Amino acid sequence: MEENKNKNNEHQEHISSYKEHFGTWSALILLTLMTVLVSVFGADLRTLSVATAMIIATVKVLAVGYYFMHLKYEPKIYRTLIIIVMALFVFFLVMVILDYLTR
Amino acid sequence: MTAAALPENNFFNAKKGIMSWLFTLDHKRIGLLYLYAILSFFLVGVVLGFLMRLELLNPGQDIMKPHTYNQVFTLHGVIMIFLFIIPSIPAIFGNFFLPLHLGTDDVAFPKLNLLSFWLYVLGALFALATLVFGDGPADTGWTFYAPYSVKTGTNVTMSVLAAFILGFSSILTGLNFIVTIHRLRTPGMGFNQMPLFAWSLYATSWIQLLATPVVGITLLMIIAERVFGIGLFDPSIGGDPILYQHLFWIYSHPAVYIMALPAMGLVSEIIPTFAQRTIFGYKAIAYSSMAIAFVGYFVWGHHMFTSGMSGTAGFIFSILTFFVAIPTSVKVFNWVATLYKGSINIEIPLLYMMAFIFNFLIGGLTGLANAALAADVHLHDTYFVVGHFHYVMFGGTGFAMFGALHYWFPKIWGRMYNKARANVAFALLFFGFNMLYFPMLILGIMGMPRRYYDYLPEFHGLNQIATVGSWILVSGLILMLANLLIGLKKGKIASANPWNGITLEWQTSSPPPLHNFDKLPELNEGGPYNYPDAKKA
Repeated sequence: MEENKNKNNEHQEHISSYKEHFGTWSALILLTLMTVLVSVFGADLRTLSVATAMIIATVKVLAVGYYFMHLKYEPKIYRTLIIIVMALFVFFLVMVILDYLTR
Repeated sequence: MTAAALPENNFFNAKKGIMSWLFTLDHKRIGLLYLYAILSFFLVGVVLGFLMRLELLNPGQDIMKPHTYNQVFTLHGVIMIFLFIIPSIPAIFGNFFLPLHLGTDDVAFPKLNLLSFWLYVLGALFALATLVFGDGPADTGWTFYAPYSVKTGTNVTMSVLAAFILGFSSILTGLNFIVTIHRLRTPGMGFNQMPLFAWSLYATSWIQLLATPVVGITLLMIIAERVFGIGLFDPSIGGDPILYQHLFWIYSHPAVYIMALPAMGLVSEIIPTFAQRTIFGYKAIAYSSMAIAFVGYFVWGHHMFTSGMSGTAGFIFSILTFFVAIPTSVKVFNWVATLYKGSINIEIPLLYMMAFIFNFLIGGLTGLANAALAADVHLHDTYFVVGHFHYVMFGGTGFAMFGALHYWFPKIWGRMYNKARANVAFALLFFGFNMLYFPMLILGIMGMPRRYYDYLPEFHGLNQIATVGSWILVSGLILMLANLLIGLKKGKIASANPWNGITLEWQTSSPPPLHNFDKLPELNEGGPYNYPDAKKA
């Protein structure tokens, strides 16, 4: 059965550069610091502070997925799936907020 | 046609000893571990349900006090939902048959698969531990609605932790199946050559992966509120109880499709075998699974029409809910069309699938009544909902699971059960089930509320009928399980393919060898259900 394996798994090894890894890591650290700064040190964004945190978190997720998890090397279908998942999440938020605002 | 003896090279005797089972990485053995565990918890849930029905035989107190009744129906719900229905078909038959259906030798991550099983066991232990620790099991109902779940003195924290751990088990299984389906299909098998059971598992796995984390976080928020007093859901400390319901149902409505979709996959699998003809509308069934999974994410609000949610949101959710009926109807139409002019061989598994269609139609159509905004105001939190839910879950998924157990029994154990006894058990189950749950639909329309310990005298007759139905149902269950146990030990040796099936699992011996196939399985030309000798309709 060994020959069975990986026929649909045309998987290639990808070696990312240290520069790319370090750059992504630095960006994640910076974004984390930005989240802390916005929430703790009182950039007075009021209701937008939640939206700001969510946007920063989304950028971090995309960076991790694209660079660390090698989504950039994967077929288009996987990127499409990620977009669908994010759209679902946005729908969850929109409907809950819509209910809250129209109660 | 029977073979003389079981094949020597099979997964049962490939390795010996208890440890070879407890720490096995073989997907078939893990599937069987799930089977034994899930059936055990199912029996616990049945006993609790049986006791509830006994209590409701007459108005007033019969065998338990009101508080005990609240705890019993909560534990019944938690066990049946989280320990039985959600994991049942994917964890048992998905684990056992997905790699066989795909023509591969295991799932993508066998160790993750084993971890998933042990997380399931850990979660189950937490759920059962609530019986002996603290102030007893939760009395909130399986939904753990806030703010009551934040305030009650019963052991909500442990119950919630149990559900949280079980959620992890479910996520890991879903992840494993998605990767297996993407990466390990046998050469030449595209997505449109996969058996429909694999398609249904694929759709289910996406729900497990994406929806379960939402409830995981929500349950942790309950604990945070109980332990640290953070005002999330309790209005007295600044929380919003409707937010809890949103978060809970964002998971728990898609979870209904975690329960139902694999059952639909089984129906799509079993009907062509016993009609001996190509399934009608392969792509329509496959894509409707994905459509149900997708649309299922948008409809959670129909559980909240009377909870104080805004009219605007209610209106939108009501319309969206009706969309689920479309792909579901596509499936039912295709199943019936497959049977039409087929060479029908009425065997036990087919009977269970026909019962599925019958029960699921009642469950589905009563669901539409609940989805209609105006009707739901009357029906919400009545026995109509209890009847509807059990028609979908037990009448649908439960019957499909029992049918699959009879269908794949000779493949798993290489033996055949007594068919006459199986027929009697089926009749008892089908009759008892409908006698138990149909009166609930009427009781609900009459206005009997759910989760009440006592009821008015005008509800007495129908409650008695339902309780007698539960006795018949339990008799059928006992007979069915006893018959399968006897068949497992003393049944006649079955051939490798007793039903003349053509999906790949029937190309290997029964029970299968450790690595599933001794040589690469051959794909059917023209699709997985292309019966060469089938009567052309």
